[in-house]
Amino acid sequence: MEKTEALLIADLCEGDETALAPLVEKYKRMVYRLAMQITKNHADADDVMQEVFIKVYRSIRTFRKGAAFETWLYRIAVNEALNFVKRRKRQRESALEAASEAEYEAITRYRAQIANDPHVHAEKAELRHHVTEAVNNLPPKHRTVVILHEFEALTHAEIASILNCSEGTVRSRLHYARKKLRTMLKSYVDASDV
Amino acid sequence: MRSKCDKIERLLSDYIDGTLSERQTADVELHLRSCGSCKREVVDLKKTNHLLENFYVEPVASDAYYARFTMRLQQRIEQSAPTALYQRFFAVATRLGWSLLTQLHRRIDDSRLGGLLSIRQHAFPYYIFGLTLTMLVVAPLLLIQVSTHDDGTHVLGRLYAAAKIRFFSADSSPSVQPTAALVIKQDKAGAQPTDIRRNVSSGRTTEPPVIDSGSDVWLFTDEPMTEGYIFTTLQGNDSDTVPNVALDIDSELLAYAEIPTQGAFWARLTGRDVLTENRYALLLLQGMDAGQHALQQYERKRIGLKGFSQKLLDVPLETLSVSEVYDSREL
Repeated sequence: MEKTEALLIADLCEGDETALAPLVEKYKRMVYRLAMQITKNHADADDVMQEVFIKVYRSIRTFRKGAAFETWLYRIAVNEALNFVKRRKRQRESALEAASEAEYEAITRYRAQIANDPHVHAEKAELRHHVTEAVNNLPPKHRTVVILHEFEALTHAEIASILNCSEGTVRSRLHYARKKLRTMLKSYVDASDV
Repeated sequence: MRSKCDKIERLLSDYIDGTLSERQTADVELHLRSCGSCKREVVDLKKTNHLLENFYVEPVASDAYYARFTMRLQQRIEQSAPTALYQRFFAVATRLGWSLLTQLHRRIDDSRLGGLLSIRQHAFPYYIFGLTLTMLVVAPLLLIQVSTHDDGTHVLGRLYAAAKIRFFSADSSPSVQPTAALVIKQDKAGAQPTDIRRNVSSGRTTEPPVIDSGSDVWLFTDEPMTEGYIFTTLQGNDSDTVPNVALDIDSELLAYAEIPTQGAFWARLTGRDVLTENRYALLLLQGMDAGQHALQQYERKRIGLKGFSQKLLDVPLETLSVSEVYDSREL
């Protein structure tokens, strides 16, 4: 019988390391996605993923019973990724140029999704590329807020709790991020008839 | 008008999200009716959101990558977790020692003797002294470790299979003493049993049974046991060479087998049972009826020590007739 998340967390607190595997299974995609979106680099995202789950394993006893595990995990993942970006002195130009293609098929798939999807018209592929790049080109803090709000569908309050800042800061970052995106995507915005 | 636009403009992002209060929403809508510039801003922001929703590509990784990731994570957790009490003690002691040394270093350099005893100025003699001291402590331990052939050592690249057997009976004074057979399945390359012996709880070590080279079953029918250990040392160089150890018994029995990663000698030296490591475990049970030697072998699972008693509860109850709960603290 599959254990509930609460049971798995309780087991992990008790030192049963087998309880970590189902949690990793459930959240690995979410953590990878976030790490990749914030660091823009597969190798870094991979390191962040490792650190995140190691932290979960080691700090699970500090997790408050009854709190939302997902929010706690978001907090660890986002902060770990932002710290990683901060620590990394030499910013790479783009995720697509930085990764070693032989080793990381993930990024290859990422690129393929954007550019080589046979079902998508070439124009749309180009639009996908530009929209994705526009988000990637936002400063990390603004990018993080956009990702959490637009793609992870978190509320302002949840994002504020994850980033340990006020809701006002979240609103402000989101507002400026949207304005920047509008500027970066101006030609598409003007041409759009929505 | 411009200042009004600035004030409203800050609310537009929330307006399109629908997160403004009723009053703020009314204010914004009132302003939009009369301001073409802000109205355009709203339209543009909506279009931008539409582009994000429909054309942003989220990064994904392949299943192969996730599989590799999970494996690496597992390995890292195994290697890094200082779970045993003595490991935690050493970790704290090292940090404390280092902190004291740093303080001492500062004090000496700041004192009158600073010129004579300064660690900074006389680093090399201090280094030699430290190295000698370390070797004097570590070398004998290493020698003992390497020379412990009976139990094998980590240094020599041996692995252990040790089955601790505890017999539980529904009857507190069982009339039938159980006997046991150790079955070693040679399904792991490089895992060759080289020695086997039994250490009964009385402290007596019996002669190892005659090992039939053509068989992989060792029977222990010569002497009844209520509690004891069966050790077998296996040659192997990596953690995959874990043998399958199964026990076939005559009475109600609960047993498990596990591989300690530390040398057995070291485990004893630190006062721990070699079997109390959080390592591989195999749950084995006997059949319910006397004479029927139904062997239930459960898949080897990685479990924590505290998790062990819980794992027991996962065993189908119809196969169990254990009068007491296996208390992991007793291990």
